[in-house]
Amino acid sequence: MQCDEIRPRLEAYLDGELAKTERAAVHDHLADCPECGPETVALQRLREGIRRSAPTYRAPEALRSRIRFALRQEAAARARQTRPAPGWLAYAASILLAVAVGSGGTFLITGERQEDAVANELIDSHLRSLLGSHLTDVASSDQHTVKPWFAGRTDVSPPAVDLAAEGFPLVGGRLDLIAGKPVPALVYRRREHVINVFVLPASHGDLGATLSRRGYSLRHWKEGDLGFWAVTDAAPSELAEFERVFRVVTKG
Amino acid sequence: MAWIAERRRRSRFESMVLPHLDAAYALARWLTRNDADAADVVQEAMLRAFRYFDTYREGDAKSWILRIVRRTCYSWLERNRPADVVPIDDEEVLDEGGTKGPAAAGDTEALLQNRSDLRRLDVLVEALPAPLREVIVLRELHELGYREIAEITGVPIGTVMSRLHRARAALRRGWDGKDIGDAV
Repeated sequence: MQCDEIRPRLEAYLDGELAKTERAAVHDHLADCPECGPETVALQRLREGIRRSAPTYRAPEALRSRIRFALRQEAAARARQTRPAPGWLAYAASILLAVAVGSGGTFLITGERQEDAVANELIDSHLRSLLGSHLTDVASSDQHTVKPWFAGRTDVSPPAVDLAAEGFPLVGGRLDLIAGKPVPALVYRRREHVINVFVLPASHGDLGATLSRRGYSLRHWKEGDLGFWAVTDAAPSELAEFERVFRVVTKG
Repeated sequence: MAWIAERRRRSRFESMVLPHLDAAYALARWLTRNDADAADVVQEAMLRAFRYFDTYREGDAKSWILRIVRRTCYSWLERNRPADVVPIDDEEVLDEGGTKGPAAAGDTEALLQNRSDLRRLDVLVEALPAPLREVIVLRELHELGYREIAEITGVPIGTVMSRLHRARAALRRGWDGKDIGDAV
């Protein structure tokens, strides 16, 4: 082989990707070609340089245990999973679709199981908030801190009331992505559990029931022109209580 | 009982996927260029993989998980740092300067004289556009073959080769003291 045939094969040769016969031909050529030899050395030097200078990234132990924990939770949630009433998922889908259209989005739910995708979006956001380092963007139990924080960041202005006296202290607020749109989330605590309340422009009426999905509880209600979705891993009865308290206090 | 099946599923997933956690983290770290972001992305990818575990058939578990990590990285970057995922120009166009470029004798000599400056090379890798960065990382640091890289990145092997070539040309020019931006 001549140099002009060797050159395009040189990297594949050094990457160990050439077929046996080709490999031998390149090898023989390199042994005595004054041009291709140094080029080969230069490429090898680059590889060594990259390998020597690049830091070896290893997953931190904390991440490993965080993932194990998350997997356990997810597996447990799947095991507890109850079969959802057929109606509510389509209902959830219609609400999110309304949100997407209402906020001028072009979001389209695709796929064969769109309802699943919607339910998973809400629960995924909840899960992400628990497992990551991103429970709140603004951490405060003071509504005069949390409420203004959302101003300018989102179209809807969520009523951020502290419910510590009722057993649901406000932890803060967060901006989340639901169906690709920024959606404000209020974060409350119930003992060791977190309740995420996603606030969307209202569409349908109240759901009036607690939904179970993948081991999490969801409730939806409407107040004025706002729709609320509460998601938690606390007991369904506690979520119902939360809705009651939240509505009483926000109605003022 | 459902929970027994789930536990079995989880331990099967863990024994298959967790051995590749370091590789997954390293890829995410190179693509996000940040420790905390890499950790978040990897965790999200692992949960996603676990959810899709039923759709995983036979095949290389490492490629499978790296493909999911990579995809999660890109959607994370699109959400949080869209400037980082600007696509590179057409392969054909960028290939120019490719097959012939780095072979020029002058470059080679200068490169050989410049052998000691290893500190900058990892910075140069970080500065590569993501499509070039990922192939060089998967090839040189993960030590994967073309076929695996093609599978992970979802492009043909020919594209993997031309991207590797362009990445190397860019790195050599950068290493040589020229602006890496000229090369890509």
